[in-house]
Amino acid sequence: MILNLFSNLSFYIPEVLVIITMCSLLFIESSYGPAEKERKLVFIAATIGLVLAFVSLMFNLGEESKLIFANAVVIDKFSTLLKMIMVLGTLGVVYLSKSSLDIYRGLKSEFLIMVMGVLVGGMLLASANNLLTVYLGIETLSILSYVLTSFKRHEATSTEAGIKYALYGGISAGVMLFGMSHIYGLLGTIQFAEMLPAFAKVQEAGQQWLMMASFIMFFVGIGYKIACVPFHMWSPDVYQGSPIPVTTFFSIVPKMAGIAVLVRVSLLFFGESQSAVEIGWFGLIQIIAALTMSVGNISAIGQDSMKRLLAYSSIGHVGMMLLGVLTLNTVGPKIIVFYGINYLFMTLVAFYITSAVSDKFGSDSQASFKGLVTKNPFMAILMSISLFSLAGLPPFSGFIAKFNMLAAVVDAKYYGLAFVAAVNSVISLYYYVKVVKVMIFSKAEMEGPIDTFRFSNQALIALCTLPVIILGLFWDKLMLLSEGAKIFIQQ
Amino acid sequence: MSGLLNWVLWFPVIGMIAVLCVPGTKVQTIRYVTLVTTAITFLLTLVLYASFDTEVGGMQPHLSFKMPWISQFHINYSLGIDGISLPMIILTGLLFLICTLSSWTVEKNVKAYFALMLMLQSSVFGVFMALDFFLFYVYWEVMLLPMFFLIGIWGGENREYAAIKFFLYTFFGSIIMLVGIIALYYATGKGEDSFNILALQGGQFTEMTIHLFGTDWSFERLFFWAMFLGFAIKVPVFPFHTWLPHAHVQAPTAVSVILAGVLLKMGTYGFLRIAFPIFPSAAVEYAHVLAILGCISVIYGAFCAMAQNDVKKLIAYSSVSHMGFVMLGMSAMTTQGMNGAVLQMFNHGTSTAMMFLMVGVLYERSHHRWIVKPDGTKGYGGLYTHMPKYSIIFIIGMFASLGLPGLSGFISEALIFLGIFNKFTTITVIAVLGLLVGAAYLLWMFKRMFFGEVSDEVKEYDDMNKREIGYMIPLCVAVIFFGIYPMPVLNIMRASVGELLTLLAKYN
Repeated sequence: MILNLFSNLSFYIPEVLVIITMCSLLFIESSYGPAEKERKLVFIAATIGLVLAFVSLMFNLGEESKLIFANAVVIDKFSTLLKMIMVLGTLGVVYLSKSSLDIYRGLKSEFLIMVMGVLVGGMLLASANNLLTVYLGIETLSILSYVLTSFKRHEATSTEAGIKYALYGGISAGVMLFGMSHIYGLLGTIQFAEMLPAFAKVQEAGQQWLMMASFIMFFVGIGYKIACVPFHMWSPDVYQGSPIPVTTFFSIVPKMAGIAVLVRVSLLFFGESQSAVEIGWFGLIQIIAALTMSVGNISAIGQDSMKRLLAYSSIGHVGMMLLGVLTLNTVGPKIIVFYGINYLFMTLVAFYITSAVSDKFGSDSQASFKGLVTKNPFMAILMSISLFSLAGLPPFSGFIAKFNMLAAVVDAKYYGLAFVAAVNSVISLYYYVKVVKVMIFSKAEMEGPIDTFRFSNQALIALCTLPVIILGLFWDKLMLLSEGAKIFIQQ
Repeated sequence: MSGLLNWVLWFPVIGMIAVLCVPGTKVQTIRYVTLVTTAITFLLTLVLYASFDTEVGGMQPHLSFKMPWISQFHINYSLGIDGISLPMIILTGLLFLICTLSSWTVEKNVKAYFALMLMLQSSVFGVFMALDFFLFYVYWEVMLLPMFFLIGIWGGENREYAAIKFFLYTFFGSIIMLVGIIALYYATGKGEDSFNILALQGGQFTEMTIHLFGTDWSFERLFFWAMFLGFAIKVPVFPFHTWLPHAHVQAPTAVSVILAGVLLKMGTYGFLRIAFPIFPSAAVEYAHVLAILGCISVIYGAFCAMAQNDVKKLIAYSSVSHMGFVMLGMSAMTTQGMNGAVLQMFNHGTSTAMMFLMVGVLYERSHHRWIVKPDGTKGYGGLYTHMPKYSIIFIIGMFASLGLPGLSGFISEALIFLGIFNKFTTITVIAVLGLLVGAAYLLWMFKRMFFGEVSDEVKEYDDMNKREIGYMIPLCVAVIFFGIYPMPVLNIMRASVGELLTLLAKYN
């Protein structure tokens, strides 16, 4: 048995690699002094670890789907692709943190270690195949996130955000655990694969509404991770309070992980059966998706802080991704992966530039973006591209992500939701365009060039913008890649 | 020959890249590069005219170009022109050339200005040439970006508001259209031709229904209105016109010219190319609604124009009024009406471009646009005695707008009224009154600006210089020539309009 579990490790190499990186970072970190120079080693180690993890994920992509660790973990293409997005996102964040002044005031490289830990939690979540693994993943993800949030420990906002996050997270994890115990009590198992047969019995016994209630409680935990309405309240404060690399990280990795769980649970339990619970579940997701988009986008309109604006915009994008959950039987998983990849690059660019600007002026308010085009036209153009892409304008990748999502929704005949999504993208254009307006039409208020845009930074930002443009024009290859995003269902 | 459309479409982009390569300080070089680019592009559109076969009703087979783009979705890079799009393409080529000359005086960030203008030109060509719905949509949206920046950076005092309003308004219309495009894609079964505009035509959706909010809806009607919204905002038809006065007043002269001369036509072109042929029975069924909206636009636009003291705003509202005539002509769905509508699209493009350019010339001298200033004093006065050359060209443009026989506006308006009279008599009678109001506000404007005492301010203005006269002459010639002999344009469009009418006649 033990040997068997060890042999399973060979399918779990990416996660193991990340864990090894995390541990070796601890060692490196404790062995270097406070000098700036020595910190480089940490970044090199982190990069090597993440790149290796990414490569091994690519190898996994070619493998058959399988269940490992006594069916607790499933390795399928859907989870592997989402893990690839998470690893790429983390890599981006690692590089962002290297130049960000927000993090390294009086600190060494704890940040990277925590980030690796959260990444492991996220990867575990993406391939969780029983309730316990889901809980384990969510907690690994959350506990380290609380620490990351309050990283600027000398600032009240950061500490406040950390406490808020922890309180919110604790409560929602509790509710989720309560829901899970209900599910276990009703079905007698924690394995996803064994639940479906047991599910039928519960329905025969007429307890499906009890079942539904427990699933809703279960959903609270996931909803909190992906920050969908009505569990989004923590998100803007936490985003604003956290250092920018952390904010970037939060808008990518936990969201992807949460969406992955949601997709898997929805498909396993509700994908096939035509039960009242299923209709209730998808009805719930429809309402939540519409609310998440609308609340996210409408709240973003009045924001002055760029971080807050991007936080609300990411809530809006989660709402769009939730639409993909509604079309699970057809193209849902594929579209979610597709959307995720496109979302990753646009978000990275937007945050990179926000980080550099707010490092320079000490504030991420829109006033610091005024007249960016006169100071650094190249960066202003790239930021505009990223914002237009987030709004979903062709020829950028955000448009084709939105196009495919709308196509999936229209195909599933949710015309009302398609209309809501369409109106929402107009609303989102409004606040993105306002930022573009500030950058390009307004006169600069703050004096001095933005020297936080070093050459390496600019090159990196340009590199991240390339996919935004190229994927927007030639997306058939990416579509083929996402096409493989199959969710493994054990018969 | 099939590469010719590609050349027309991409040549401005080549010019844009060239402009971007020139250092920003060499302003004169940038201007000349743009001038050469737009001149060659215009010549290329004339080559298109020369190789155009007027007997073919559909797309010109020897000019069409098709290449797979996103093969899984059957999205193609597919271009083609017919008699409805060719006049628009030539108009685009001509107006951008003229606008380059009229933009010679732009001093602020010249490089970005001309690069954006060239990008705009390419995307406008794209809209008029695309035969793939996805491609069409991409160009339709891409066009918003340069427009947004052109209005927002080089515009008047209130430019930011105008730019954002224009952007959001148009985007709202087009995103609804996008939902329609996707619905069409699934309605045709995701097949080879799901994004092919030509294959979608012919009324195959007439019987289809969709289930929505508990009842069955006619697919055709529902998505006809979705497309209608996208195009009507662009035209703009009353009550979707409110973005237009702001955008026009705030935009720099050349951008106003392009906006009124070409971009508004994209809306009516969308009706002719997409909404009518794809949803013919809904188009026939709701022709009276289009006619009524067109009629309201004519009357309402004219009265709004009459109330303006800002001469540019006056011209902007006159555009609303004149585009209303195009809507009327289209809704008639008769040979004369439809030909009149397409001709009016072309003629309004030349005459309104003249008016906006003339206002721009005046603005460069006075730096205001008031006929009567907000404090009640006279803005312009006695221009006629002081600026004779200017006045003569202005008169030609004004009378062309007004529809004086012998100038271009008359023929298209006459054709439209001929076409619609038997179908919607009451509406015609009311709309003809719009013509009267149109004459009234233009003549009243003329009286206030050109006659009377020469004000001190006006005495300091120079008359038009050679460059200004130079770029006005082609338009003057066009306005007079097509007023006397419109057959070149009518010949081009005859077969294509005939084909569209045959299609619509099945449901009439």
